[in-house]
Amino acid sequence: MQRRVAVLLLLFSSFSLVYSSIAYYSLIRPPAQEFMGWGVFSASGSLSNYFSGVGANVTVGETLNWHFAVTNQMGSIQYVQVVYRLGNGTSVNPNATVPGSTVPQLGNSSIFIPNAQTALVNFTWVITSRNPAGGMVFINMTINGQKFSPSVGAVAGQRFRFFFELWTYDVASNSFQYGYKGQNSRVGVPLQVWFNSL
Amino acid sequence: MRFRHWALLGILLLLIFSFSATGENASGQSAQLDDARSKLVQAFVLVQQADLHGASPAQISLLASNLNLALYYEENATQLFAKNVTASNIYASKSVELSNATSFQAQSIASTARTQSFFGQVAAYSLAIAAGFGSALLVLEVHRLNDLFRKMKLRRMRLD
Repeated sequence: MQRRVAVLLLLFSSFSLVYSSIAYYSLIRPPAQEFMGWGVFSASGSLSNYFSGVGANVTVGETLNWHFAVTNQMGSIQYVQVVYRLGNGTSVNPNATVPGSTVPQLGNSSIFIPNAQTALVNFTWVITSRNPAGGMVFINMTINGQKFSPSVGAVAGQRFRFFFELWTYDVASNSFQYGYKGQNSRVGVPLQVWFNSL
Repeated sequence: MRFRHWALLGILLLLIFSFSATGENASGQSAQLDDARSKLVQAFVLVQQADLHGASPAQISLLASNLNLALYYEENATQLFAKNVTASNIYASKSVELSNATSFQAQSIASTARTQSFFGQVAAYSLAIAAGFGSALLVLEVHRLNDLFRKMKLRRMRLD
């Protein structure tokens, strides 16, 4: 009788262990690579044809309706900020670890994005005027209804470029941080679009 | 001499009072705007916690819409601050109100999600243990079942 009870206990603990493991794996979230993806889209909704004219030329008064599509696959809702800067051919690029802080920030747009969703952020801009000075051209512009006078100019108005950076809110530091939280470190995903001012 | 000291002290106190009475902090932002920003972040943190505790995507989407509306109010308040402080304060208080409501909803959803998750875990592990006991019993008593089937077969044969 005692032997039977011992066998029953042994079998019970073995089976329970197996079934509990099954229960554990069915309850936990499946492991997934966390990332954020984004792109700057033209008015036609594509990743090309940003400019209606010839090449990347933008004339004064020409309104360009772009938008950012930001996808959140971080496993939870994110507070995202798109930072935009205006640089030229010699500006230092932002990269996967460092933002383009040497170029002054023009502005930003923020949005809350739930997990596994894509949000659209408008970026409507127009060059309102050009100010040539000593071979350089400085531009005044309106972005999303706000007026900006960037301090960066370009030789003959050629090879301006927008830097777009994705920042996410970090609860631990209580501030926006460049990129998103990767497995070991933060991952920056900057974008840039070249244009000429005519 | 003594009069000069008192005069200096009076001017100093007057300056301190005038700076503190403007209702703006050193960066030129109103207290309402600062409050709107901090309440928005607080609401976001609570919504993120609810999300991590297993709230449904539909619930989180709804809370995210509220957060985006509160953010829109806060941005309006910031833009209007230089032109129209009264309008800015109205938007800031709207943002605070919505952020507070969202925080409250997020806390309630997080609590429900935590409870559901707990009961789900209890049910799953209870089922695992019951299945373990049933399986052990089945293995141990399988010979009795065999005997039972054999007897049933014999009875059927006798009846035929």
